[in-house]
Amino acid sequence: MKVLVTGAGGFLGGRVVERLLAHGYSDIRCFLRDRGKAERLLALQEKSPGAQLELCYGNLRSKADCALAVADVSLVVHLVAGMKGAPAEMFADSVLVSRNLLEALEARDDVPMNETRVVLVSSFGVYGVVPLRRGARVDETTPLEDHPEWRDTYSHSKLWQEQLFWEYQKKDGFELVVLRPGVIYGPGGGAFSTRVGLQIGPVFFHLGGRNLLPLTFVANCAEAIVVAVAHPDSAGQVYNVHDDDLPTASRYLREYKKHVKRIRSVRLPYFATRILARILEGYHRRSQGQLPAIITRYKAAAAWGGNRFSNAKLHSLGWRQLVATPDAMTQTFEYMRQQPTKG
Amino acid sequence: MSLKIAIVGCGKIADAHAEEIKKIPSVQLCAVCDLEPIMAKQLAVRYEIPRWYGDIAAMIDAEKPDVLHITTPPQSHLPLARQAFVAGCHVFLEKPVALHHCDAEAIVESAVAAGRKLAVNYWPRFEAPALELRRLYETGVLGSPVHLESSIGYDLGGEFGTALRQDPEHWVHRLPGKLFQNVMDHVLNKITPYIDDDKPFIQAIAWCGEAGVGGNGRGELLDELRVVIRGTRTSAYATFSAHARPVGQTLRFYGTKNTAHVDYAARTVVLERKQAFPSALGRLFPPFLVAKDYLRQGLSNVSSFRHAGFHFFEGMHRLLNEFYLSIENDAPPPISYEEILRVSAMMERIFEQIYPEVRA
Repeated sequence: MKVLVTGAGGFLGGRVVERLLAHGYSDIRCFLRDRGKAERLLALQEKSPGAQLELCYGNLRSKADCALAVADVSLVVHLVAGMKGAPAEMFADSVLVSRNLLEALEARDDVPMNETRVVLVSSFGVYGVVPLRRGARVDETTPLEDHPEWRDTYSHSKLWQEQLFWEYQKKDGFELVVLRPGVIYGPGGGAFSTRVGLQIGPVFFHLGGRNLLPLTFVANCAEAIVVAVAHPDSAGQVYNVHDDDLPTASRYLREYKKHVKRIRSVRLPYFATRILARILEGYHRRSQGQLPAIITRYKAAAAWGGNRFSNAKLHSLGWRQLVATPDAMTQTFEYMRQQPTKG
Repeated sequence: MSLKIAIVGCGKIADAHAEEIKKIPSVQLCAVCDLEPIMAKQLAVRYEIPRWYGDIAAMIDAEKPDVLHITTPPQSHLPLARQAFVAGCHVFLEKPVALHHCDAEAIVESAVAAGRKLAVNYWPRFEAPALELRRLYETGVLGSPVHLESSIGYDLGGEFGTALRQDPEHWVHRLPGKLFQNVMDHVLNKITPYIDDDKPFIQAIAWCGEAGVGGNGRGELLDELRVVIRGTRTSAYATFSAHARPVGQTLRFYGTKNTAHVDYAARTVVLERKQAFPSALGRLFPPFLVAKDYLRQGLSNVSSFRHAGFHFFEGMHRLLNEFYLSIENDAPPPISYEEILRVSAMMERIFEQIYPEVRA
C-alpha cells in the first residue's frame, strides 16, 4: 500500500512518517513544499534502507503537483494547513489546496475511490465551545462552530477544510477518518498556545489560568494518527487527540519559566478578560479598526472559557500515549532552553 | 447617489480594499469575485459582503457595479480593466499598473475611450505626512526641489515575503521586474510629482543582498536595488532594501530653501532649516529645533490617534474617498494619468537595466 503524507516537512509531518515506518508501512510518498525542511525525512530515509521513502517536492496549490502527489496511493494522510499569515493565504493553504487534492483523487483512475482511505488532521478549533458552560466536557459529539468568522482565521479555515472533506466523501465514497488534535507541542513547536495567553509587547498576558490545556505531544499525536490510519473501524469517524494527564495553563507557564527562561507575565482572571474584551471590541468598532480586536468576548469564551476534554474514543482504538506528559514537557522545555530565541 | 463597488481578486491585498471601502458610508460593497469561488466566499463571509462570484462577466452582468476594484496579480490587469471599462465601470487598480509600460498605456487609453475614470492605489501619496510635505512645497517653505531620496524597506520574513519565498511559482516571480515591480511604485510615485522631466536619465543597479535569505531557492531573486534619476533640474535616488533595518519608508526632499525628512512609518515630517545664528551658536541650536519639530509631530499624532486617524491604510481611505468623489462630481481623478504613466515608464526602464534577459 502506497501512502501519501502531505505536509511531510512540517512539525508534525516528519513524526507521522516516523510512526508510519514504525508501524510497518514501507512505501511512503512524503510531499513537501520547502526543500529546506527535508532534513528529518532524509535522516529517516538513511535509517530505513528497506523502506521506500519517496520525497516529492511541490505545492498543492498547483493542480499538476496534486496529480503527481496522489498517483498510485491508496492512503492519504493530509496534514497541510495554513498556520499563519494573511487570512487569504491561510484559506488558500487549508481549503484551496484540500479542494485541489480531493479533485486530483477524483480525477485519477489508478486506484478506485472506494479502495482509498483519506485521513484528515483537523483541529479542536472546529468545535463550537462558546455556548458551553464553563467546565463542560468537549468530545466528538460537541457541535461544530456556528460562527467561525467570529473566531480566528485558523479555526475558520480548518472548519471549512473539514466540511469540504465530508462533502467530497459523501460524493465520492472514499473512507474518511478525521482527527482533531488539541494543541500540538514538542521540540521545534511554538512555546505558547493562545490558550495559555497572549504576548503583547514585552508582557505575556496569562489568560488561561487554571483551565486544562488539551495538549498533545507531537510524537503522541503522530502515533494517534497512525493508529487511526490502520484501524478498520475508524472509517467515517472523528477522533479528538490529546494526551492523558493534561496540565493547566498555569502549570505550563510555571514550568516554562522554571525550565526555559523567566518572562514578565501578568495574570488576568477570566472575568477581567471579558471586561477587557468588551472595551477592546467597543474601541475597535468606534475607531473603525484603528487597533485590531485581538480579544473579543467571543474569542475569549472560545479560548479561555475553560473546558474539560475527553480522548476516550481515541483510546478505544488502542491508542496509548508514547511519551508521558511530564517527560514530554521536559523534552520540549529542554529543547526550547537550548534555543532561547525560539522559546 | 450611493456608488456600487465590486472587487475582483480575493488575495491578501483585497482585505485592505474591503476594509477601507466598508468604512465609507456613501458607497456599498455589493460583491466580490475570484477565479476560485472558495477565495471569493471567504472574503465575502469575513467582510459581510452580500454576494460572491467565480466569474467576472457574471458579476459585472448581475451587479452592474459603478466601480470595479481590480486586486488580481498584474498579469490580468489589462484584460480585466478593458472588460470593466467596456461594461461602463470605473476602475480602481491595485499597483503595479501592468506588466509593461505599453499595457499601462493601453489601460489609460481604454479608460479615456470609454469615458470612465481610473485610479491606481498609490496610497502612501495620500498619507498625512505626504500631504504635509505637499503643503510645505506648495506654500514655498521648501523652495524648489533640488534632490529627493525615496527609500523603502521590505521584510522577506513577513507575510508577503514568506509567501513568495516559499512558492517558486508565485506570480511575483513571473513579473518582468520580479519583487521590485511589486513595490517600486511606492518609491517612485513619491518622486514623480517633483521631477520636471518626462524622460529623466535613469541608472539602476540591483543584487541579492544575502545569499539564501532573499532567494527563492533558485538564486534569481534580487532584493537590493539602487536607482539614480536625473531630470532637467531635479535629481533623485530611489532605494529598495530587503536587508536594512528597521523596515521603513522615507522621503528626503532637498529644497532650495529648506530640507524636509518624511518618515511614513512614524508619520513625521521634520524640517532642517537654514541657520540664522552665527558660528558655534549655529551648531548649538539645530538639535533643539529638530526636537521641537518631533515633539510637535508626536502631539499631532496623538491627536490623530485620538480621532481614529491612525489606520494602517489611512492613505488608501483618503484616496478612495477622493476617487469616488471625482466620479460623483465628474471631476478629474486624484492622480493624473500622466503621472501614472510616468511611474510606469520609469519602472520599465529600471527593470530593463537590472533584468536585461527579460527584455531580450
